[in-house]
Amino acid sequence: MVHIEFTINGQKAALDIPADITALETIRSLIGLKGTKEGCGIGECGACTINVDGKAINSCLMLGARLDGTTVVTVEGLATKENLAPVQEKFMENHGVQCGFCTPGILMSAHALLAENPDPDHKEISRALSGNLCRCTGYSQIFVSVKEAAKLTDQLNQLKKVGG
Amino acid sequence: MTDIEYIRPLNLKEALSFLWEKGEDTKIIAGGTDVMVDLRSDGLDKKYLLDISRLEELKGIELNNKELSVGAGVTLSEIYSSKILKSNALALKKSAKNFASKQIRNIATIGGNVAHSSPCGDTVPALVVHDAKALVADKKGTRLVSMEEMATKAYMSCLSPRQILVKFILTPYQGGFTDFQKIGRRRELAVSRISMAVFVKKDKDGRISFLKIGLGACTPTPCKMESVEAFLTGKIPTENLIWEAGGILAGNMIKITGRRSSAIYKEPAVQGLFMRILYPVVKS
Ligand SMILES: Cc1cc2nc3c(=O)[nH]c(=O)nc-3n(C[C@H](O)[C@H](O)[C@H](O)COP(=O)(O)OP(=O)(O)OC[C@H]3O[C@@H](n4cnc5c(N)ncnc54)[C@H](O)[C@@H]3O)c2cc1C
Ligand code: FES
Ligand code: FES
Repeated sequence: MVHIEFTINGQKAALDIPADITALETIRSLIGLKGTKEGCGIGECGACTINVDGKAINSCLMLGARLDGTTVVTVEGLATKENLAPVQEKFMENHGVQCGFCTPGILMSAHALLAENPDPDHKEISRALSGNLCRCTGYSQIFVSVKEAAKLTDQLNQLKKVGG
Repeated sequence: MTDIEYIRPLNLKEALSFLWEKGEDTKIIAGGTDVMVDLRSDGLDKKYLLDISRLEELKGIELNNKELSVGAGVTLSEIYSSKILKSNALALKKSAKNFASKQIRNIATIGGNVAHSSPCGDTVPALVVHDAKALVADKKGTRLVSMEEMATKAYMSCLSPRQILVKFILTPYQGGFTDFQKIGRRRELAVSRISMAVFVKKDKDGRISFLKIGLGACTPTPCKMESVEAFLTGKIPTENLIWEAGGILAGNMIKITGRRSSAIYKEPAVQGLFMRILYPVVKS
């Protein structure tokens, strides 16, 4: 067993895990956050995408022990008590979600992208999401959702500046 | 089935001491993007997982005194965003562009790519072009290994279980023309079926004065293509000449691999890719 301590969605976690399990198993089975999905389990579908220290990664390819000392955000950590995150709101509004299986992963890729690049063009969105497969939407609604989320994030930031 | 132990050494010295004692029973894990896939499919017949992903000694990209060094623990994302590589090893930067996906580039390392010794490793052709040497360390010392010696056969590196790949030392190139291209079954997340990196310099008369070629995914282990480089050096690159050189390149590949069934596809494809990658040199 390995002892790990890290921050997940703003809360401290400390637990003992087997040395050979993935970050995905750690988060889903041991911590009990089931929002992050397992699709392929081998890095090809992106359903398991989480943000570790601000970067999108496939949790199925990360050793759980490596979470030690990191700051993790999963899909459960996007919304605040009052509001959905801009990506979540805009995916709903623009039909970026159909069956929803790919959605947590796509939201986390989009979230990391917008933190790094607040105004991505079509190509940049495509590159950031190329590791996320969606069998339902045909992607065009997803692109619209991400673009709209970028605009909303920008507006919210402007408001914050004015307010503060 | 978890009697595997996880070890995260604090520094390279500690890691090397551990491997000196227990290397045979240990699997090194860096980004884990190859190791985790193997772990899932076949399990792990080792006692220890040695996590080297946080070793400072394996990080960083530096240029000093005509020597460009890239740490084995540098991620593909770091390679893609490096300004030093953009101006001194553009082909390597380009090889990181369509590597797997953003999520994988964020943790996969160049050291893991080379140590895995897949013939399809995307960073390898660019490393060959830059005459890269790998600095390999064990508890007793270090040695330099060329890219051609690095893999003994497909998926088998020359590293002993006591060794760690520390960094790559590249010859930096400025100016000239350089590119990396790969052909896969699809654009994203595609395993390269053929990849190629080149660096070309022309003199003031338009003759090729310096040329380096790295061919990937076509031969079991990386090899130099010196006969093709020699054939083109000193000549003015015309369409016909590049086509002819592409033929020699494809011929060299067949000499190494033997005429397998995939040759029907690969032989003309290598020639075609060589033409495509060097076409800008013909026109300019
Ligand atoms: C979905 C998917 C897509 C992929 N696409 C591509 C692609 O487009 N192009 C491509 O080239 N590869 C691709 N790969 C393969 C893989 O991502 C790369 O080979 C990657 O660079 C491996 O690096 P890593 O740090 O994750 O290695 P790890 O998995 O940590 O290690 C790989 C091997 O190298 C050894 N090792 C690692 N670092 C060292 C070191 N410093 N010293 C000694 N031994 C070491 C390990 O013991 C292991 O045997 C893909 C993989 C997946 C799952
Ligand atoms: S479950 Fe991780 S990429 Fe598919
Ligand atoms: S909404 Fe069903 S897979 Fe994307």
